[in-house]
Amino acid sequence: MNENAQTESATGTASATGNGSAPIGQAPLFKPPREGFLELRGTVSRGQTIILGFLGVIALFLIWEVAHYLTPDYQQKFVPSVGQVTSKVFFLFAEKGYIADVAKSVYRIYLSFFVACLVAIPLGILMGSFIKMRALINPTVGGLRYLPAASFVPLLLVYFGPTDFAKMALLFLGCVFFLVALILDNIEAVPRALIESAQTMGAGRLHIIFRVTFRAAAPQILDSMRNMIAVSWTYLVIAEIVAATDGIGAVMMRGARFLHVDVIMGGILTIGVLGVLTDITFRVAAHFLFPHTHARR
Amino acid sequence: MGIFGSNFNAAHHAALEVAQKEGKFPLSVNRVTKEYLNGERVAVDDMSFDIKEHEVTAMIGPSGCGKTTVLRLMAGLEFPTRGNVESFGMPIKGPGPERGLVFQAYTSFPWLTVIENVQHGVAIQGFSKAEQRDRAEHYLKLVHLDDFANAYPDELSGGMKQRVAIARALAQDPQILLLDEPFGALDAQVTWEMEEMVVEICENTNKTIVLVTHDIQEAVYLADRIIFFTRQPGKIKEDMAMEFKQGQRFKRKEDLLSEPGYVEMEKRLYTMMREEIQGRIS
Repeated sequence: MNENAQTESATGTASATGNGSAPIGQAPLFKPPREGFLELRGTVSRGQTIILGFLGVIALFLIWEVAHYLTPDYQQKFVPSVGQVTSKVFFLFAEKGYIADVAKSVYRIYLSFFVACLVAIPLGILMGSFIKMRALINPTVGGLRYLPAASFVPLLLVYFGPTDFAKMALLFLGCVFFLVALILDNIEAVPRALIESAQTMGAGRLHIIFRVTFRAAAPQILDSMRNMIAVSWTYLVIAEIVAATDGIGAVMMRGARFLHVDVIMGGILTIGVLGVLTDITFRVAAHFLFPHTHARR
Repeated sequence: MGIFGSNFNAAHHAALEVAQKEGKFPLSVNRVTKEYLNGERVAVDDMSFDIKEHEVTAMIGPSGCGKTTVLRLMAGLEFPTRGNVESFGMPIKGPGPERGLVFQAYTSFPWLTVIENVQHGVAIQGFSKAEQRDRAEHYLKLVHLDDFANAYPDELSGGMKQRVAIARALAQDPQILLLDEPFGALDAQVTWEMEEMVVEICENTNKTIVLVTHDIQEAVYLADRIIFFTRQPGKIKEDMAMEFKQGQRFKRKEDLLSEPGYVEMEKRLYTMMREEIQGRIS
């Protein structure tokens, strides 16, 4: 055994001196075990993210297409193919002035959401900054979240009739209470030490509210807004169903009356695409408004 | 001073200067008791002491001895249950820029760059843009961060974030700098660098500093005087001047080790700490 050890160490020294005399180049690259598709908390490259994202969308369309071909011929018009729906959407744009309906819906969503933010952000800041204000307002506003927005439809019809205002009021009611709750959370999540350190620098109340708490919570507030405008989009059809003359929802309801399933599905597809575009808009805005959130580490 | 202005005011500042000339203490703690949970927990029990100008005072003691509470009372972030804390003879009624505080937690504003962070405190006090810039650059140089002026805090290491906090507190030109376990979250080597930087700052600015720490060696290295707190409720166990240092400040920590009296002092502090935590494992 002793001899073995000696020979081993001898060869060890030999190779060591061999390396020592010619320290050229680097050690060979270490090949870590290949990362499988289902690697726990694995890594994903930018290219992979894009490819996988597209694969997901294609998979959805594939399932849809398969469903179309599996449907018996006499019912096939109730499950139109991807091609039929997209060509219908193009037809609507080209022949039926669909762009005006889309613009109207987008206008309703954005204006009602803007007003909801005008209400929710000050309320959230007020309650997040002053605990007594929170005690005063939060039980009421918190409770209102449990009222289903759709149940306001008859009331809004009685009050305002089939007007644009009634539709936007519904969209507003659908998201404003949740928005208040989320923004309140965002404001309250600002670390106390940030506020206290501003106080020891001599900052006054208003300075702390607007230039410390609000600034600190701003990226999260924008994120809450991005999540809530998605909810607004989900309310769009409910808002536009009743006595609607224009908007994506109205086009879909008209399609339903004549059993034009391709029009209905085209409407759903449009809302989906617009929703994704809205999401991207918010993300891009966040990127430029808050450069510190993606600073290199 | 507009609606966004600070609670810093000129009359108060003038009164401070008079008090300073009259030789009033930067801080005096007068028979302070601080209770929590309606008296169920007594954090500080009838404590009195003064902080002397241009001295570095370390408050040290086992966890839960109320040392951070006392510092927060000095900062004006909390108020005593009994007694009062005065700054240059005037009772403290809230936080103010004349008492700068560095927290253990990272408190740099993440949406501002390093230099904007340091400027922020100066801006609150209504100084001109040029003055803000000058002061920020000066203090960033003092904490050796001038190369990172335009970085965001999230791009920095823990030690660098604390340098930003120190520069920011110094830039508001406080009479007193309060340090609440400022290096508690840093690793040993970074802590050591930061301690030496504090000595450098003492040399350069001659500020009155109150330091809360649980690190005996840090206290002995930095302080001119150590106030040792008993375990809950916090009282003063011993108030010790670091006479063995003979007023010297050591740029290099290792130079302290060979100083006569150093080992005895540290041993004494360890013994006191053991007495406080004896039989009560935290």
